[in-house]
Order: sequence, then structure tokens, then C-alpha cells
Amino acid sequence: MKKRILLVLLLMLLLTGCRRYSGFLPYAREIEDMELIRTLGVDTAGDAGVTITASGGTSQEETQVVSGEAGTISAAVLELQGEGSSYLYFGHVTQLLLGEGLAQQGVMPSLNYVLRDVEMRLETALYVVRGGTAGQAIEAAAADGSATDRLEALADDAGLTANSMPRTVKDVLAELDRQGASFLPAVLADGGLTAAGYGILKDGVLVGWAEGDAALGVNLIFGKVDADVVEVQAPDGTAAALRVVGAATSVRPIWQGDTLAGLKVHCKVDANLAEGSAMPDQATLDALEVELAQVEAERMAQALELSRALDADYLGLRQSAAFAVPWHKEALLGSYSMKDLKLEATAGAVIQRSYHADG
Amino acid sequence: MRERGETHPHPLQEPRYPGPITLARLEEIFRDCVDFVHRTVQVGEDPRHTLTLCYLSGMVRMERVSDYLMRPMAQDPVLARCAGVAPMMERMRQGALYNLTVEERDRLDQVVFDLVAGWCVLLFPGESTVLSCFVGTEEKRSVSAPDNETVLKGAKDAFVESVRTNTSIVRRHLKAPELRIQEQIVGRQSATLVDILYIEGITNPHLVEQVAAQLRDIDIDGVFSTGAIEEYIVPAAHTPFPLIQYTERSDRFCAGLAQGRVGILIDGIPLGYLAPAVLGNFLQAPQDKSSNWLLATALTVLRYFCMLTTLLLPALYIAMVTFHQEMIPTRLALSIIAAKQNVPFRSAFEVIVLLIAFEILQEAGLRLPQSIGQTVSIIGGLVVGSAAVEAKIVSPAVLIVVAVAGIAGYTMPSQELGGALRIWRFVLVLLSSAAGLFGAVIGIAVLIVHLAGLESFGVPYLTPFAVSTGPATREHVLLRRPMPQVKNRPAALKPRNRRKQR
Repeated sequence: MKKRILLVLLLMLLLTGCRRYSGFLPYAREIEDMELIRTLGVDTAGDAGVTITASGGTSQEETQVVSGEAGTISAAVLELQGEGSSYLYFGHVTQLLLGEGLAQQGVMPSLNYVLRDVEMRLETALYVVRGGTAGQAIEAAAADGSATDRLEALADDAGLTANSMPRTVKDVLAELDRQGASFLPAVLADGGLTAAGYGILKDGVLVGWAEGDAALGVNLIFGKVDADVVEVQAPDGTAAALRVVGAATSVRPIWQGDTLAGLKVHCKVDANLAEGSAMPDQATLDALEVELAQVEAERMAQALELSRALDADYLGLRQSAAFAVPWHKEALLGSYSMKDLKLEATAGAVIQRSYHADG
Repeated sequence: MRERGETHPHPLQEPRYPGPITLARLEEIFRDCVDFVHRTVQVGEDPRHTLTLCYLSGMVRMERVSDYLMRPMAQDPVLARCAGVAPMMERMRQGALYNLTVEERDRLDQVVFDLVAGWCVLLFPGESTVLSCFVGTEEKRSVSAPDNETVLKGAKDAFVESVRTNTSIVRRHLKAPELRIQEQIVGRQSATLVDILYIEGITNPHLVEQVAAQLRDIDIDGVFSTGAIEEYIVPAAHTPFPLIQYTERSDRFCAGLAQGRVGILIDGIPLGYLAPAVLGNFLQAPQDKSSNWLLATALTVLRYFCMLTTLLLPALYIAMVTFHQEMIPTRLALSIIAAKQNVPFRSAFEVIVLLIAFEILQEAGLRLPQSIGQTVSIIGGLVVGSAAVEAKIVSPAVLIVVAVAGIAGYTMPSQELGGALRIWRFVLVLLSSAAGLFGAVIGIAVLIVHLAGLESFGVPYLTPFAVSTGPATREHVLLRRPMPQVKNRPAALKPRNRRKQR
């Protein structure tokens, strides 16, 4: 009986799927023999295929940057393995940078690689490098510390920059599958990897950029307004700074008969009076709220205009509307097209309190 | 055909000492025994009324012999006037002797063991029976606080080596007349008294009979260590896990009896055993019932966490740094890599060597006198450990993992459970060295199957985790509920009376 149990247990080892390594037991590799890759960049190499740039280490130690070129990402990664003495381990890649050129050709091969590779994770943060290649960005950041640390700081401090929101490979893949379009944060290929709005993807190809107010409009629609400060003019002519502390967006369809005519996006914005008059009267507050609502509505309108102009539902507006009126789900999700829709942006603002001690 | 070196069974001879009860026979049995003493006493004027008094010197209290036996025989006029030996014997048996215990014996076996137990034997000329009087010494260690089970709030009368003292301690705690104390003699050479204690009307009688039958089956030379009883009465010997609980605290022992468990007290061993015992019992500290229920619950949960830590941490460390590096948070992985640079050994080897070193240190600390033991711990743990890390022979991460696992093991209230976990820790480490998490998971599965197959006197070892004990509020297992809420005794013990409070 015991021998049988032992035999069954040994046979269970064969079911672990690790036979492709030597023997039926999993393959052991010591952690100190590894170089943990934390940032991976993918660029197009023209006819040669793709160029991979990998960066490991922290700012405390010397950052290792290696690159390889091959027809596919897998082959390029294999080429990288031959460069150093350590085994390059991609299980700790937390950032994936795509060059603008590659993104314009299509991001799906890169995203699919992350999806299929046993070491890579779908939670990897995804960025597109605007006006340059991922390799340039990683090299530039490495000269000034580490691309990983810079991008981690960027993601952690998204609330402080107000024009970037972290996106993962899983988010983008899911949205491309669900609504045919998505967006991903953009960085410049300078040493600081400065945030530069969002790149807009349609059918897996980079088709445009959301920058400035349009990027802020994207944040507003997604409720990411951790550090959005809006400067408006008070009725008495003084400047007032309003810190936006909350935004809730709702999307409602506009119908013409049974036909979907447009989408109305309404955002309720909560703000605090950060600078300005210590104890404004109600009339002043009302005026400031109107000003703020106008600014925010304008930002959203710019983001929506991009959606209409590019004919890409990168904001998932149809999906949001379908959540609101699920009985019209078929009509709303039957198409990805946005160009014939009238997209309205409205906003309502409430100033909750003043940061002044008397407020 | 018997294998070379294999010995034949040695059936117990009954009676062990056949023959009549005579002085010559006793002298033959106790030949070359300097402590065997006999003297003649003439009662009255008639020289035919000369009795022989036998005892083992040192085992009896001389004052009792003189005052309770010799004085009435020399001074009682009624005895002196007895017409013959038989009436004299009858008169003594009925109360002429001042001794509290006077028994008539007709078998040589009984007489011999009486002498050994501190009884004094009176042989009457021409009579086939004798009178046996208990005049034994009561030299024993005084009742004191338990050494190994710290008491903060609670009784401090721990068990001592004398079984009769121990039963008296139990009687003082459990004044119910239903407390039953059965006695058996175990060991051919040691003839140790083993008492079975239970409360009639609460304890399942089948359980009592099962324990008694296990004790009856023991036929060994002697009970000189606890293992002599534990290993014979515990049904499954092929496990390192303890299946019977011991305590030196009388209050804990009595609480077990009141739960419906059977207690065992062994003469010469200052411990009380409680059966049956399940895994949860070994994770309860005696202090739990004295602490606030919230605190006791938190500490119990902590102990379960520590049990998993001591069992799994080294195996998980090996699995993660050798096979599944993606499981380690990135910054921790970078720290481990930095710490392991220039360390020449593989992680699995490091862990196994350090675990063995830990066991060696522990064993050395236990074997040496306490003052030197501490020195060994300091030299071994601090000096050698830090030197090994500085010399890059072991990595600090491994040292921390092994130390944390070892210290977590010390939180186990039961040393036996801690020992079993140490053995299984090695097994899991070896499995995870070979196959990573797959190996560790297979080891854990085998461990669970093993534990699920264990029973302690008919009660599954994983009760109540693997076996339902009904919807009633359970006794303290993982959570200790407020005592007023726990109305029933543990159902798994099948007590005759389920309810334990109003």
C-alpha cells in the first residue's frame, strides 16, 4: 500500500509540466547567479526585427544595460542571455517601454510576448517613449541613475505630476480586446523620463497623443485627480487656486429614436480652495465653482474630441454607458466607432472648504 | 527458522514465586540481600507462640514497626492469653495490632512484593497464611511548583514522584466521590504502580477500558522512563507526533479529567498523562485558561502561525531562492542577491547545514550544565554565527531564516510536538531542495495524510479540523471562547455527560 502511494506521488511529479528541463524535477537556479531585469525596452529595428534593451539593478549599485537585436522578441532575449555572465531573469520586470516607432507598427507582438512568457508578468507597467526609442530612454535614464527607479517614482508620484497615470500590460490588453482602443502613459527619452501625456492605441497601433489639457481630461474621466490644481480668476480679480480632490464621472447615451446619437459625459468635481481669499462669500464660491466646472468640462471635451477624431473609444465610453443602461448593451457595444457620435462633456463643481485656517 | 541473534519470547511466569510461605523460602528468595531482616517475637509465656517478623530494612519505618507491631505483641495481655497461634492471628487481624493496614496473605508472590513495597510480614508457626502490615517509609520530595510549566495564575502544586501523593493532590482538586483510581502493576522487575484516574459518569467507559487494556498488555522489565509507558500504550508508534499529553501541573490534569479524559499516574514519574490527545491540545498552553479569552485566542493563533513558520519557512526559502524567484518581492530579491554574493555554497546546502548546526547547538546546550549551556549558546549562536556571516561562509538571509524557524519552534507548548515539527522540517527542506514548491507541497500533503491517519484512543488526531464535532460551541482549539459560552464537553471524547455547566 505504501509503495503504491509512493509510486503515485512520484508519478504526480511528472504532471508538473517541468519535464522540458532536465529530468522530471523542476530546474534549480540559484538566485545569486541571476541578474534581475527590472525594465525592458522594445524598439523596432526595421527589417532586422526588434531591438531589446534590458536594464537591471538599483540606483544604489551600477545599473546594467544590455541590448540585443533579432527577428522576434524571444530570439532577442535569447541573444541577451549570451552577453553577460549572469542569467538574465525577467520575472521581476516591472516596466515595459515601447519605442514610438514600434508602437506605430503595432504593440500586440510585445504585449503577446508578456502574455505568453513564463517569467514576465501581466502587472508590468507599460509606457511608450515619445519622440525616441525605448533604448535611448533606458540608456539616458541609466546615465542619471536607473530607468527603473525613475519610472517607479513616476508611477508612485502620479498624483504629483497630474499628467500621467500608470497602466499595466493587463489593462491595455484587456481594453484592446474589449473596445479596440486603449491608452498608455508616454515618457520622453530624456534622462529624467519626463511624463508626456498619453499615447492612444487603436487596433494595437499608436494613432495619436493626448497631451496637456487632453491628458488632464483623461485623468478626470478616470477619476485620477490626486493633484490637479486649477487656477481660476475670482470675481474680485484675484487669483484662486483650486485643488481638485475628487471626480466622479458618469456616461449616459444620447438617443435619436432607437439609434445611438452620442454620449454625454458628466463629471462631478470636488475641490478645495488652496489659495485665494481666506473666507470667500457664497457668491464668490459660486463663481469659482462655475469657473472650475468650465475648465474641467473643456479638458474633458479635448479628450473626447481626440476620441471622435481618431475614431477610437480609448476611454471606454461605450462600456461605461453600457454599465449605466445595460438594457441597451447590444446597441452600445455593437460597434467601436466614435466618429459619428456627438460627444458632450459637462461638469459640476463643488468647493468643499478652504485650506485657510479660518475656512 | 529463527534468524541468528533473534531471541525467544519470554512468557510471564505465574506465579513468579511458587511454594509455601515459609521463612526458609523467603530467605532463599532474598538471599544475598543485606537489607532482608527477620527476627522472632515470642507473644506471652508460651514458646510455641513465637512469631517471625520479616521486613526489608530501609523500606520500612522503624518507629511504626516498634510502636504498631512490637508493642502490642509484647504488652497486649489478650494476645498473650490466646489459646493457639490461629486465634492469635485472627485477633491480630481484627485489631490487636495498632497498624492501620493489616492484610492476610496466602500467596508467596504477594508476600514477596509486599516486603519490597515496605510492608512487614508476620509468619505464624504452623500457619500457611501470614499477616502483612504496611509500615513503609514516606520519604519523598515535597510538593513544589512545576519546573517546566510556568505558573503565573494558578495552582503551584506540581506532581511528585510518589503516585500516592499525586492521587492525593488530584483528590484535593477533584473532590467528587465519583473520581475513580484504578491501579495496575507494570514491569516485571520494577513492579511500578500505574494508576488510571477518571470520573465515573463523565468519562466514556470504553475509553477507560481501552487504556486499562493497553496497560495490562505491557510486559516489560521495568518503568524507568516515561517512554516505557508512552510507547506501549500509544496505539500508533510510527509517528513522531505525540498522541498522549503529559503535564506536571495538577490543575491542568484535573481539568482534563473533568473534560472526560482518562488520566494516568505512574509511580516514580512526576508527570500526569491525559488520553486521548489531539493536535489542538498540544498547542494550548496551561496559561490559556487563566488569561483573558481575547489574549489567549491571539496567543493561540500566534502559536499556530509559529507552527507553520517553523515547519515551512526553511523549505519555502529554498524553494523561492532556488526555483521560484518570481515569488520574492523585487527589493527583497535584490537584498538576498547582494547578501549571497561570494558565498560558496548553494542555498539548500546552507540551510541544511545551518539546521543541523542549530540542532547540535541545542543538543549541546541541553546536555551541559545550565551555566555552561548558556555559554555554548552564546559562542555557537552569536560568535560562530556572526563570524560565519562575515567570512561569507553562510549568507545572513539563511541565518535569519533558520534562526526564525528555530525560535518559532520554541513557542510550541509541547516539546514532543516541537520535536516532531523539527523532523518534518528536515523532510520538507529535502523535498523542496529537490523539487521546489512542488516538493514542499507534496511533503505537506503527505504530512496531512499522515496526521489524518492518526488516532489517539479512537479520537482522530486532527479533530476538529478534519472531523466535525457537531454544531455545539467547541472547546478551545484555535479560538478560546469565553468560558460561560462553552457549555459542553468535547464531543469527540464521547463523554457520558455532555453538559459541563448550567
